[in-house]
Amino acid sequence: MKEPEYYEIRHIKGETTQIEVDNGRLESGGTSFFDVAVIRVLGDSGWGVVSVDTFDPDNKKKLNEYLAQGMALASITGEKVKIEPTEAFLLPVPSLKENPTGISLEEKADLLMGIERSAKIDSIVSTRANYIEKHEEVLFFDSSGKEFTYNTTRCGFNVLAVAGKNGLIQMASEREHTIEGFNLRHKAETGLLSAELAVSLLDAKPAKALTVNAVLDPELAGVFAHEAVGHAGEGDLVLEGSSVLKGRIGEDIGPDFLTISDDPTLPLFGFEPVDAEGSTVVKTDIVRNGKINAFLHNRETLCRIGDGQLGHARAMAGSVPIVRMSNTFIENGDAKREELFSECREGVYLKGSRGGQVDPGRGVFQFNAEYGYLIENGECTRMIRDVSLSGEILSTLHSILLCANDRQMNEGYCGKGGQSVPVSDGAPHILLSNAVVGGSVVD
Amino acid sequence: MSWIERAITEGLKKVDEIEIFTVEGQSITAELRGKSISVAKEESSSGICIRTIDKGRIGASSTNNPIEWERCLQAAISAGKLVSPQEWSGLPGQQNFPSSKPCSDPQVQLGPAFLKDIIYGLIEGSKQYNADITSGGAEASRTRISLENSNGFQASVDYTDNSCSLETIHESSTGNEFDMSWEAKLDPFQTGKTAAFYAEKSWKGSDINTGTYDIVLSPMALGELIESTLIPALSGKNVHAGRSLLKDKLNEEIAVNSLKVYDLPSTTEGLGSVLWDTEGTPTKRIDFIKNGALNAFAYDIRTASRYGKVSTGSAVRSGASGSPGIGHHNLLVEGRNTEVLEEPAVFIKSVVGAHTANPMSGDFSVELSNAFLAENGELTTPVRKAMLAGNVFEMLKVIQGVSKERKVIGDMILPSVRIHDQTVIGV
Repeated sequence: MKEPEYYEIRHIKGETTQIEVDNGRLESGGTSFFDVAVIRVLGDSGWGVVSVDTFDPDNKKKLNEYLAQGMALASITGEKVKIEPTEAFLLPVPSLKENPTGISLEEKADLLMGIERSAKIDSIVSTRANYIEKHEEVLFFDSSGKEFTYNTTRCGFNVLAVAGKNGLIQMASEREHTIEGFNLRHKAETGLLSAELAVSLLDAKPAKALTVNAVLDPELAGVFAHEAVGHAGEGDLVLEGSSVLKGRIGEDIGPDFLTISDDPTLPLFGFEPVDAEGSTVVKTDIVRNGKINAFLHNRETLCRIGDGQLGHARAMAGSVPIVRMSNTFIENGDAKREELFSECREGVYLKGSRGGQVDPGRGVFQFNAEYGYLIENGECTRMIRDVSLSGEILSTLHSILLCANDRQMNEGYCGKGGQSVPVSDGAPHILLSNAVVGGSVVD
Repeated sequence: MSWIERAITEGLKKVDEIEIFTVEGQSITAELRGKSISVAKEESSSGICIRTIDKGRIGASSTNNPIEWERCLQAAISAGKLVSPQEWSGLPGQQNFPSSKPCSDPQVQLGPAFLKDIIYGLIEGSKQYNADITSGGAEASRTRISLENSNGFQASVDYTDNSCSLETIHESSTGNEFDMSWEAKLDPFQTGKTAAFYAEKSWKGSDINTGTYDIVLSPMALGELIESTLIPALSGKNVHAGRSLLKDKLNEEIAVNSLKVYDLPSTTEGLGSVLWDTEGTPTKRIDFIKNGALNAFAYDIRTASRYGKVSTGSAVRSGASGSPGIGHHNLLVEGRNTEVLEEPAVFIKSVVGAHTANPMSGDFSVELSNAFLAENGELTTPVRKAMLAGNVFEMLKVIQGVSKERKVIGDMILPSVRIHDQTVIGV
């Protein structure tokens, strides 16, 4: 066998505990187990990858077979790949305030049922709550002699409330996910929050489609940063020509007070102690002071296109590392929250997120608020529902008029290339001028 | 004695019933960057899910290491002790199924040469228009699914699957297309050609005025919009839990009277052909919407037992990593056949952000992708940027017709659909 230019093994085993409460019934609860490994081999002209179950890192004979299998696969690739040299510095995984491992399934279920129960108020027709807890033991080693192991624990819950009246149903949900340890205690009010919002939405008016000034809350503005800028700043998309930011380093993209960063070192839900290729994780400012500043990179994309830093390769267990965001946010501005509303005068205040999506090559994004309010004379008035925003990456950031100084982060999962990874997004309140708001009502 | 027989024997000492679902699969993938294969990947995977039922308490656990079946069994039994008990009609017993229709094609080969031919077709097809390949690829896989339970049910089925996709760009105009089948009958040339067509032809689009238009949703756009709205509303679990707008609407007219939405597990046109569902219940055609009226909901054994219904054979699983849920096998949408692009309309190839639709109410507002003004069967003018806002359930009432041609999109087989008076938000 021809020797590979480089190889790496990423072996992850662990367990997942899930509990579901549905309309007061403990629907399911239990633990499942997984053990997967990805062997990635760099041949003369590209990557060969072997993905297997139940990997034994001490079985050298089997490992050599996988390497040979990877080299055979690499023989059909046709792209000379160079990779950036890298150093690995392993950040300590934040310690757990309370380790969920030591808490019985029964106690977790009782606490989750309490959260779900608190959502049962008048006009609520359905409630559901889910808890998920995932432990991963990660082993990484490569042909350069790098080797490290670390363990992570992530857990969290969602609670959903559905309100109904006169044939109309509306839903609202709350979620809290963390790497800081068990988080089901003293959270009963979370269920109540979702229920009160769902009931309020029954009387909210469908949004009008219009172009209008808009204030985005930190959660929605965080999704805005993620969808409108983060994905287009991923080095693999830039490399393959699927990003409108390609070739635009140094260009103005927004006001000079605007900085948008991705930081896997922060002890938040998207934290990584080291990236999935064994590179030290770092903060990268994708936009700095209104200019496109850097791309997020893995070893291959940095070597090919430059303009950025290593440390942004991530992988779901059993999958190939690709360039991903981690904790993505708009930095605080210096405006007070109240200034945004008075400056807006007439417009909409959009809150919460039902997610978003981007076509980074075309430079168009869309995301949806959970709900909002009309802003009239600088004051929030009537509640509106089912309202989305869309825009073009290269022009929309210029329409940010003000950033407040009240940044908050929210947790979630991001999908790309068939892989889902934990992330957090955040921002302060921001004011957009002439935002294209989508709603089902047209004047 | 196999580990499955031992697990059933051991399990029956502690619970009333036990079910073991296993999946074994191999796949090979080639990923394109530009016109070159950048990554080639082989994956072998296995998984087991053990479900136990004891006095109406259902427990489950999974692992991808069959050697650990005892740990998995114990975890399933522990899970069962935790949950609320329910009415339970029992797992299916021994059954004789007629010889299975083929879902497996030996021509689908898990070798590099098979994929290289598909990749070549994609690249050649893309050359028919002025667009660059950004990414794409081809995949072939084989999967064996087996189900065995303590009531004597025992069956296995083999599937093959192959697919290809291509993403293209012309200036800042993108296009994409895919093809999938269980048979080795992909058309990668046409797939590449279509992806490049949309990238080139969508360039230099015109603005469209905000207003109401007749629209034509491609199979892809239709699938994106119904996946998170109509389809979950047809689940018996959501209906009884108060999470479906269709609750209490059985036998009511909910759509234009020519519309049919049904699950056809027996067809080999799609990817989900199956004689038994993932609990062992024989599958059958389910007419969810028949001549415009809501006719049926989907049930698995768990939900059917709880609400005094009968399973419709609608238990589906995503691999072996969990308990079955309620779904469908090959969902078809049919209606009055028409030339959908003959009269003026806004044609929509796909949408951006379909998953942000309100899953309860069906309200949505999404960005359009590869949209065109169309008439006389032709796509005339590309639309630069616009949103579509509406309600999926209301759309069903104003469908003017569907195309004869239809496309397999995973577990759905869908036509293009022409819909009257929808809100398009432009300038």
